[in-house]
Amino acid sequence: MSNPKTYDVVIVGAAAAGLAAGIYAGRDRYKTAILEKDPFPGGQIMLTAHIANFPGHERITGPDLIQKMRNQAEGFGAEILVGQAVTGLRRGDDGVLEVEVESTGSSYRARAVILAPGSQYRQLGVPGETELRQAGRVSYCAVCDGPFYRDKHVLVVGGGNTAVEDAIYLATQFACRVTLIHRRREFRAQRILVEELYETAKTGTLDVKLPYVPKAIVADDTGAAIDHVVLENVETSETESLAVDGVFILVGTVPNTEFLRGTVDMDDRGYIACDPQTLQTSVPGVFVAGDCRAGAAMQLATACADGVLAALQAKEYLRNPQAWTETRAERTPVQGY
Amino acid sequence: MAENVVELTDANFAAEVEQAEGVCLVDFWAEWCPPCRMVGPIIEELAGEYAGKVKVGKVDCDPNRETAGKFGITAIPSLIIFKGGEVAKRFIGVTAKDSLKAALDEALA
Repeated sequence: MSNPKTYDVVIVGAAAAGLAAGIYAGRDRYKTAILEKDPFPGGQIMLTAHIANFPGHERITGPDLIQKMRNQAEGFGAEILVGQAVTGLRRGDDGVLEVEVESTGSSYRARAVILAPGSQYRQLGVPGETELRQAGRVSYCAVCDGPFYRDKHVLVVGGGNTAVEDAIYLATQFACRVTLIHRRREFRAQRILVEELYETAKTGTLDVKLPYVPKAIVADDTGAAIDHVVLENVETSETESLAVDGVFILVGTVPNTEFLRGTVDMDDRGYIACDPQTLQTSVPGVFVAGDCRAGAAMQLATACADGVLAALQAKEYLRNPQAWTETRAERTPVQGY
Repeated sequence: MAENVVELTDANFAAEVEQAEGVCLVDFWAEWCPPCRMVGPIIEELAGEYAGKVKVGKVDCDPNRETAGKFGITAIPSLIIFKGGEVAKRFIGVTAKDSLKAALDEALA
C-alpha cells in the first residue's frame, strides 16, 4: 500500500448519513472521500418504495432520494468510491488516521473519519430460515419480492413501520392473503400506519395475529417450497401451523460494525458508542453517524441530521485537533441518550 | 445492455443457456428491485473478466415470467450458474464478487 491518498475527511458508508456528511464536508471545501462497500451507494433506504415522512418531500422513492443526495455530494466535490469494504482503521505514527480496504489493497489517509456504515436486515434465527431463504421463499425485502407472490398467501413477521407498511403493500398489490404476526399486543409502528393496517384488514385480505412469534419454517418434501410455518402464541405458549407460500421477515436491523470491533467502543449489541453532543467515538477525530450509533432514532431524517452534525464536528476537530485529544479523550463516551 | 452481457428472454433462454455446453452466469432481476441495481455492475464486470470463458446474461423477470417461474424465482436478485445447461449453483440477494468468482472458477475447473 504505497503512497495512499490523503483526505481531510474520509466517510465510511455512502447511504443517507454518509452522503449527508459528504454534502457538508464537500461544501466546506474539505477534500472528502466516501467509501462504500457495495457496488452502489444508498444502503437500506434503497429498499423503500415510498418515503412519506422525509420533511419537504411528500412522496419520494428511496432510490430517487439517494440519487439526488449523491448528485449533491459529488457536486460539492466529495468523491464516492464504491466496492470499498473497509477492514481496518488505525492511527499512523504521524497522527493521521489510516483507513484500510484489504480486498482492493487500498489505503486512505484521513485527518478525520466519519463512520456511517449503517445497518442491515435482522434475521430471526428460526429453523428453516436459512434453507428456505436459499430456496427464495423467505424474503427480507417486500419491494423486491412482493411481485412474485401474486395471488399467494404470505406471512409477514414484525411490528415496526416496515412490517406494517409492507403488510399493507403486499395485501393491496399482490397477495390474495397476508397474515401479519407480531410478538407483542401493540405495534411499534406509527399510529397512522396501524390505522391503515386495520382498515386494510376489513377488506378480508389481511389477518393480524397478536402476540405470535414464528418457531420454525418447514419445507415441503421437495425442500424448494414452504409447507407451513409453526407459530406460537407468546401468552399461552400454544402452537399452531399456518400454510403459506412465502415469509417476509421485517424485524428491524443489526448494525454493520463488525469490522470496527476492537477499534472503537461499542455497546453489547454492536452499536458504536459516542458523545451524543458531538458524535465523537472513543477515538479522537473519529465520528459516527446514522443507524449504527448507540441512541440512533433509525429514521432517514435523523440519519441525515447525524451526518450533518458529524461533518460540523469534524470541522471543529480539524480546526483544532489538539483541543479534542487533550480534553475529550478522557471523557467517558456516553452510550446513547 | 452492456457489452458481453446477453439479454435473455422467454424466447431465447433455451437456446442461449439450456442448450449451451459451457458455463453460463444468469442474473434474474427486475426494474422494481433496488438490490438488483447493486448487483448489476458486478455482473457487467464479471462479463468482461470472463469474456470467452463464461456466457453472462440477464433475465428481466417482469416480462419473462415463464423463465423466472421455470427456475422457481421468488426472490431477486437470484444469480444462477449453469454448467452444460444444468443448474450448478444459485445465489440469492446481493452477493460479493469474490463469491461469484470462486463459484465460476469451480464450474470452469
